[in-house]
Amino acid sequence: MSMIYDMNLNPQKISKIPKMNPHESHTGASPANPLIPKRGIITKITTETPDVKTFSITGADGTKPFTPQPGQLGMLSLPPYGEAMFSVTAQNDTHIDMAIKAVGSLTNALHAVEEGQECGIRGPYGNGFPLDFCHGKDLIFIAGGIGHAPVRSLIRHCVEHRTDYGKLTVVYGARSYADLVFKDDLFDNWPKVDNMDIHVTIDRPEDGWQGHVGFVPSYPEELALPPSVSIVCGPPIMIKFALQALTKMGFKPNEVITTMEMRMKCGIGKCGRCNIGSCFVCLDGPVFTQEQLNAMPPEY
Amino acid sequence: MKTIAKTQIDSILKALAVPYNLYIPVAGAFTQTPGREGLENASQFRLYQEGLPLHWTTNTCLSPKDLLFPQTEEMYTIVSHGKTVEIQEKAIGHKPTILFGIRSCDIESIDCMDRVFLEKGFEDTYYKTRRPRTILFALSCTTHEDTCFCTSMGVNPQSSPSADVQISDLGDTFSFTAQTLGGEQALAYVDALLSEIIGTGPSGALKTQTPDTLKTPEELKEIALSNAADSTLSSAADSTLSSSSADSPLSSAADSTLNAAADNAGNKTSAASPLPTDPMIITVNSDGVSEKLENMFEHPLWDEINLPCLGCGACTYVCPTCYCFDINDKTLSHTTINKQRCWDSCMFSDYTRMAGGHNPRPSKKERVRNRFLDKLLYNRQRHGRLFCVGCGRCVAKCPVNLEIATVIQKIQAAEVTPS
Ligand SMILES: Cc1cc2nc3c(=O)[nH]c(=O)nc-3n(C[C@H](O)[C@H](O)[C@H](O)COP(=O)(O)OP(=O)(O)OC[C@H]3O[C@@H](n4cnc5c(N)ncnc54)[C@H](O)[C@@H]3O)c2cc1C
Ligand code: SF4
Ligand code: SF4
Ligand code: FES
Repeated sequence: MSMIYDMNLNPQKISKIPKMNPHESHTGASPANPLIPKRGIITKITTETPDVKTFSITGADGTKPFTPQPGQLGMLSLPPYGEAMFSVTAQNDTHIDMAIKAVGSLTNALHAVEEGQECGIRGPYGNGFPLDFCHGKDLIFIAGGIGHAPVRSLIRHCVEHRTDYGKLTVVYGARSYADLVFKDDLFDNWPKVDNMDIHVTIDRPEDGWQGHVGFVPSYPEELALPPSVSIVCGPPIMIKFALQALTKMGFKPNEVITTMEMRMKCGIGKCGRCNIGSCFVCLDGPVFTQEQLNAMPPEY
Repeated sequence: MKTIAKTQIDSILKALAVPYNLYIPVAGAFTQTPGREGLENASQFRLYQEGLPLHWTTNTCLSPKDLLFPQTEEMYTIVSHGKTVEIQEKAIGHKPTILFGIRSCDIESIDCMDRVFLEKGFEDTYYKTRRPRTILFALSCTTHEDTCFCTSMGVNPQSSPSADVQISDLGDTFSFTAQTLGGEQALAYVDALLSEIIGTGPSGALKTQTPDTLKTPEELKEIALSNAADSTLSSAADSTLSSSSADSPLSSAADSTLNAAADNAGNKTSAASPLPTDPMIITVNSDGVSEKLENMFEHPLWDEINLPCLGCGACTYVCPTCYCFDINDKTLSHTTINKQRCWDSCMFSDYTRMAGGHNPRPSKKERVRNRFLDKLLYNRQRHGRLFCVGCGRCVAKCPVNLEIATVIQKIQAAEVTPS
């Protein structure tokens, strides 16, 4: 506990009440309100799997709506279905990408729209991956299912800045071949990258599948990967077992990096919705080290 | 010292209501609606109108938090036609405002809100618009309700150093002391109505109100602590129980308000109103409670105390430091929705539920634990202070008496094996 405690303790009396004449009325809107989305346009929709599509979102002025760091998030809304948080998987000058799995009302509605649909978009939110910490090191990416989405922005960043990082290893799996997202990168593009290994697995054998069969959490041990900095993303249950396996293999808790999901509303650390103990996942996360998680109450 | 006779207070309110939006505490009313006669309309802060009487005897049933953080705030309108979407932001109008007669506990709760909405990364635009344009007139307490335990939480019911103006209840008169520039400017509007008293008249009485005879928060806390040490755990818990279970939850606050008013009427003849000399009924030792809770996440206490909870959310609704909100849609037509944010409660079962049904806090146990850890540990870690100011509202309003003062005592009494 004590580490988290120190991290957040702010003993100083607040002095942040803005200095202004209290006798002056305020009227009109405040342009910098972080809770108000901008208008965006879904310019491209790519079907990745039967239930995952990638949406490219462009701002109303034709440029990307904001510039996130790898691992940061955006709040996407489609009226009248509400808004939800998604990882930004990629970006360029004209758009950001989000890979979205159809699971509920908003996400199913998004899967039904056509290119050209307008939406609301706000962000970037969250802390993102610790690029300085990863710099120059060997990195192992371990992801399951839609967990490829949060980690993808970091893998892409490392490939784009290839010489800044050591060996790159990707261990990725899904229920079936059809459920693997970003197959182009997995099978065509990344295997060609210098000093980069890709290991793909599916849960059950399938006709025509020549690759590895088995669950993601046990795969790194089968591959006998040497301990280094690792980034683990996926459903809660996969993360739990993967962290156990990595601990057994001698990975250090401060070098195992993961992302958390909690329900979110504001995304700016105010509404209280996404707390794990005294941490707000939307602001202090979603990226945490295993060391930080160990210090938090096990409530996620 | 600037004072005014209590009988003349309306002249001050009337004058302040011209340049400011003036909110004052107003007593609860009883509805005359056929079939519902007698139901309490809770005492709360209302916009001043001429003739609306100031309720100054005890604190309000509802806290004034909604004046800085409204229960519902419309944020923007979205209009969608076919593939197009248009977003129209709502203006945040805010006239200079005075909150007149806020008690020390609620002034402290505003400090909690400041830390949440103005600190840590983002600033909340709505709060940041209202807060600097809101002038706080604190009113000292001369009596307390059965459910108050502010002194146990380090709050001084007689003085609020962070308020813009301190009003002290001196029996027949109120005194006004500006503590900030904003307070000075506000008092300038009523200067002509106030009389200056310098050591004349009933000065003996007034002297008791000079700052050096006021107890410091530390002294008050010590008094509370020695009281807490005197009362055994069970007797304190009993008195807590009896104080809130004697009446039905809806009528208890109204009754105690009336009782307190009667008390005060009896005291009225005494020259000045010194500190409340009778100790508060509820006293707890809040020292070290955060540190203790660090090792209590898995403690069996949580299995036991959550049992009576109904998940009604009354505790979070009345709490002046509870700040959670939801963002949702108000549908105006099939093309137009208003996005609004509304108070929410971590005591509701769907608060943390995610797609596919996964819920990190699936049962009452986790939700009750989260609420008390939030008040007593998480906010201390995150914002540097406890988020309970001892106002006693949850004590008065929880229908099953699952209230924080007893919980603090149980935490202090719990046996913990350090991890
Ligand atoms: C930090 C973070 C990153 C995420 N990144 C991605 C991503 O890259 N790709 C992706 O497909 N999904 C991602 N999700 C999950 C995504 O937010 C949910 O799938 C989505 O909210 C479901 O909304 P719905 O209306 O379709 O589901 P419903 O079940 O209809 O939603 C009901 C409510 O629950 C909320 N909710 C439901 N599930 C979640 C959840 N898992 N997390 C938070 N709130 C939830 C919704 O916002 C909505 O308010 C992420 C979630 C978080 C917290
Ligand atoms: S927890 Fe209860 S006593 Fe404490 S500030 Fe909130 S309502 Fe008041
Ligand atoms: S603790 Fe009491 S007031 Fe709060 S939700 Fe439970 S029953 Fe309601
Ligand atoms: S989503 Fe509101 S605090 Fe994190």
